[in-house]
Amino acid sequence: MSHKLLDLINISKSYDDQMILDEMNLYIRENEFLTLLGPSGCGKTTTLRILGGFETPDSGRVMFDGKDITNAPPNKRALNTVFQKYALFTHMTIAENIAFGLKIKGRSKAYIDDKIKYALKLVNLEGYEKRSPALLSGGQQQRIAIARAIVNEPKVLLLDEPLGALDLKLRQDMQYELIRLKNELGITFIYVTHDQEEALTMSDTIVVMNQGYIQQIGTPEDIYNEPENAFVADFIGDSNIVDGIMIEDRLVEILGAKFECVDIGFGTNKPVDVVIRPEDIDLVPVSRGTITGRVTHLIFKGVHYEMEVQANGYEWLVHSTDMVPVGQEVGLHVDPFDIQIMNKPESEDEEAVGIEE
Amino acid sequence: MKNKKKWLAAPYGVWAVGFVIIPLIMILYYAFTSQENGTFTLVNFAEVFSANNMKALLLALLLAFVSTVICLVLAYPLAMILSSRSVSQTSFIVLIFILPMWMNFLLRTLAWQTLLEKNGVINGILSFLHLPNMSIINTPYAIILGMVYNFLPFMVLPIYNVLIKIDKDVVEAARDLGANTFQTYSKILIPLSLPGIVSGITMVFIPALTTFVISDLLGGSKILLIGNVIEQEFKQTNNWNAGSALSTVLMIFILISMYFVNKYDKDGEGGAVF
Amino acid sequence: MKKHITRIYMGLILFLMYAPILTLIVLSFNSSKTRAKWGGFTGKWYIALFQNDDIMQAFYNTLIIAMLAAAIATVLGTMAAIGMNSMKRRYRTIFTGVTNIPMLNGEIVMGISLMLLFIIARVNLGFSTILMSHITFNIPYVILSVMPKLKQTKKSTYEAALDLGASPVYAFFKVVFPDIMPGVLSGFLLSFTMSLDDFVITYFTKGPGVDTLSTKIYSEVRKGIKPEMYALSTLLFVTVLFLLILINMNPSDKKHAIQQAKELERLAAGGKKHRITKKLIWGRIVPILLLIIITGGGFYYGNRNKSSAGDQVIVYNWGEYIDPKVLDIFEEETGIKVIYEEFETNEIMYPKIQSGAIAYDLVCPSDYMINKMLQNDLLAKIDWDNVPNAVNIGETYYDKSKEFDPTNEYSVPYCWGTLGIVYNKTMVDEPVDSWEILWDSKYKNNILMQDSVRDAFSVSLKSMGYSTNSTNIAQLDEAQKLLVAQKPLVQAYVVDQMRDKMIGGEAALGVTFSGELLFMQRENPDLDFVLPKEGGNVWIDSWVIPKNAQHKENAEKFLNFLCRPDIALMNFDYITYATPNTVARDMIEDPEVRDNPILFPNDSQLKNCETFKYLGSEVEEICAKLWREVKSS
Repeated sequence: MSHKLLDLINISKSYDDQMILDEMNLYIRENEFLTLLGPSGCGKTTTLRILGGFETPDSGRVMFDGKDITNAPPNKRALNTVFQKYALFTHMTIAENIAFGLKIKGRSKAYIDDKIKYALKLVNLEGYEKRSPALLSGGQQQRIAIARAIVNEPKVLLLDEPLGALDLKLRQDMQYELIRLKNELGITFIYVTHDQEEALTMSDTIVVMNQGYIQQIGTPEDIYNEPENAFVADFIGDSNIVDGIMIEDRLVEILGAKFECVDIGFGTNKPVDVVIRPEDIDLVPVSRGTITGRVTHLIFKGVHYEMEVQANGYEWLVHSTDMVPVGQEVGLHVDPFDIQIMNKPESEDEEAVGIEE
Repeated sequence: MKNKKKWLAAPYGVWAVGFVIIPLIMILYYAFTSQENGTFTLVNFAEVFSANNMKALLLALLLAFVSTVICLVLAYPLAMILSSRSVSQTSFIVLIFILPMWMNFLLRTLAWQTLLEKNGVINGILSFLHLPNMSIINTPYAIILGMVYNFLPFMVLPIYNVLIKIDKDVVEAARDLGANTFQTYSKILIPLSLPGIVSGITMVFIPALTTFVISDLLGGSKILLIGNVIEQEFKQTNNWNAGSALSTVLMIFILISMYFVNKYDKDGEGGAVF
Repeated sequence: MKKHITRIYMGLILFLMYAPILTLIVLSFNSSKTRAKWGGFTGKWYIALFQNDDIMQAFYNTLIIAMLAAAIATVLGTMAAIGMNSMKRRYRTIFTGVTNIPMLNGEIVMGISLMLLFIIARVNLGFSTILMSHITFNIPYVILSVMPKLKQTKKSTYEAALDLGASPVYAFFKVVFPDIMPGVLSGFLLSFTMSLDDFVITYFTKGPGVDTLSTKIYSEVRKGIKPEMYALSTLLFVTVLFLLILINMNPSDKKHAIQQAKELERLAAGGKKHRITKKLIWGRIVPILLLIIITGGGFYYGNRNKSSAGDQVIVYNWGEYIDPKVLDIFEEETGIKVIYEEFETNEIMYPKIQSGAIAYDLVCPSDYMINKMLQNDLLAKIDWDNVPNAVNIGETYYDKSKEFDPTNEYSVPYCWGTLGIVYNKTMVDEPVDSWEILWDSKYKNNILMQDSVRDAFSVSLKSMGYSTNSTNIAQLDEAQKLLVAQKPLVQAYVVDQMRDKMIGGEAALGVTFSGELLFMQRENPDLDFVLPKEGGNVWIDSWVIPKNAQHKENAEKFLNFLCRPDIALMNFDYITYATPNTVARDMIEDPEVRDNPILFPNDSQLKNCETFKYLGSEVEEICAKLWREVKSS
């Protein structure tokens, strides 16, 4: 991918003495699908609003294509936003909604009409020009909101939890729709969500945020497989997070049992957090298990069984296609490369970003 | 079940017929009958269109129009300010609009006399500051002031009610799509708050058009509005027929505003003033 | 910067809304009786207030009417809302339309429509008619407050209650009603406030002797508001302010306070989502307090009325034309309750008598008006046996009365005087001796005219040397042209407000009655009075008994009482208008007053003066029309 299109430098923002963003640095490359992911109140929406020009940071700079746009009003930015609750203009028809930005730019009528047709086709709502937005379903309204934004040919499209209000099936459809749109339009998407699955499905890059700090930046695979801290691990997918002691390189002790791993450089006899994904735990006969335990819960989930196994004083979450009935003893085994070792938080700041349940 | 419940509205239905519909028919009856023998006539309407009454009607329309415009100009920014702020400002609304209602409105209006008179409070302050005195008491300007003072809340509250319901995102969306402040107002905020504006306009225009108290108290009895003429027909001249005819003319204006309210404010959003 | 502009703007609005209120509060501490002058600080009006039965009675009337009207309207309106909610669309539209009428109708149209209804249905105008009218305009507010709540209520909860075995009524009160309760409450509060502040509708539908604060104030406007009224308003205002502060600034819980503010805001802004969270204060203490005050006060004043309710006399008199103490003494001595009403001009009084909507027992019109009433057969002969004190009235005044009451059978003179010019010596340099000065453009905006047809025309007619009783249309036209020409110079047309304005130095010249001088001079020594050399009007106001009087004997008793020298003297001291009661006049101690040439002019002074005569309905109508043209020119 190409150069930095957007660059946030040392951005801080607080409301009423409450720090929302603290010295944040983040850049977005052209044509990237970047997702800001985190629980509510993590600062992801504020970041988006600063990009959109609806908020001014207390300190720091926003650079766009090398120009400082920190104080530029929203209408002077080459970005467009798709709002969470669509924010369609209910007193206008759909065509008028879509034409809004173009009319303000003073485009010709023919151009605008063309654009409306094109945009409606793009979002699969041909023939809806004359309707009122109030009479559309949530998914249709959402697509109109997107159409209204993209006719302006923004360099960047900001999307604030655009699928939050839709039901599951519609949400999944819209996810593919958005990916398709992004590929067809070739513009940069910055997407805000608290839904990790959505983030994993669509993004080129995921930025995991919590309490005003960026926790990890990486590809969906990186974020899922190599979470940098317990928060990320917990937030992205299900995981077993247990205390461990790094005995030496490539050997970790978890709940009294020694596991082989692939991590190095943590020193010796150092307390660490250990993350093991539920699908990475293999259920084996008792004799072959690194540790053994007893199945306490069993639920059929369709693609797999979800089990809880009580072993060495910890309730392990296990996903497996094999069914082991409740009450049966079973051995647990984890391949070395499926064990993810993380440093324990050291500073108070890092503590603050701990997991909140 | 449902069918039984609707009969709960029956007492009100009877009441409304007795105290709203029939009285209005009374006015129409008097308007179309002659004072002497109660036969059908249009003489009373000829009276309405006499030069003096037309003058009072036109003046009332003019003053009501001007005060409505002033109210709108004053109220819109105020409603904007109030709706853009959160809790701490809301008690301000009560302070401005509800609390004063506990002082009788006649007294409050009368107090403007004391304030505006030649030797009144305001001129006292002006002379103290060596500024030229103003003499608007007993002029149409004083009446307009009184109307604005009395009816401003009826403009602010409906607009405020509508404004707080407008999603802030919509405004941001407009800005995002390139609209500047002026365009955001003209294309988004004002059209969206139209129900409140229409409701506010009628809530100010009708009372201003029909008032006789404000013109009486602040106009020095020099300025007759249509309301004063009606009041005199009933309370002094005792020509109920002419008074009814004049009221009928007023009702036409009221019907027009009802039409507009129904057209723009279908959900009754701005209807509830308080 | 933007914040500052916002602040300044809100400050300006606040000033606009509160400047009059501050003024009223200041006036409530003004020891001078006229609002035109600051006479020093005093708290006496707050004490006087509670001794002023008139005001307190009006206050309790206002509260009771507001309370009852709001309560009844709340019940009717809530029922209506529930009914309308389960109606078919078409019927609901009709009901909604009807509900909108009182909301959008001009108050005056609604007021007169109800007045016509009551008069035609022969319902006596009084407390009950006010109440019915208030209920009528309150119901829509209740419906408007309850309706949205009702729409939010889920039908399923009601059905669930039925499913669980509740009867429809039980289910309604246990399930639906709590949901709409906030709407019902705000509807009630809204109605209460609207009722409290209403003037126009009450004005048209009230009867004699019943006054709310609004109508009381309106009748006082012309003659100057009693300072007690300012005190009462200040008390009311401060009480409500205090309650609001109490609710807003609950120190125990800031969040709570915020909620409270939100509540109030909702109450203010739509009354739709009003939800009483601070149940203790709004739900309990305030209503209970209100209830105690109202029932207590109502009981107290109700009892006072009751003691004398059996026997009464309904008196209709000029504003400020009797010493209130005289009424008290009469009630005490005879046990007859005096229901006292006031009018401002003869022209306002006449239609009320003529229409017969209210049966007055004793009225005090002026000469020509008595003549007119006599000609229209509206008066009853006085039974002189019942009025032995009538002999105290000087013979000359009975003689003069023959002009309008040729047989001396219908009227007893009460006050008399002349029409002249009161002027402020510091503002007028030249000697004032002619009506002409009222057309001197030097005094533009410095002239106050009488707001009554006959007085205004007599000024104009006399200035041209015509008779005040001219029926010559050409002369009347001429007189009207003169008045029209004068209008740009006139500051205002007033009646009793003349006092305040002249005392306050608002105008240099005013057309008024000789009797005003004593009072005015007491407050402002720069004022003087002149009877212009062209002459003017000498007038007599006399008591008459309308034909439809219900309590004629009481009226005669009261009349006899008024002719008693000590009572006549009391009234003279209070009114300061010349009394025809020669016995009483002789009892005046101060010779300067007793022999005041302005107050009691002799015949030579009066040689150019005329008494008004009734001009006949035709000429009168022409005059009324000409006068209206002056006023609206």
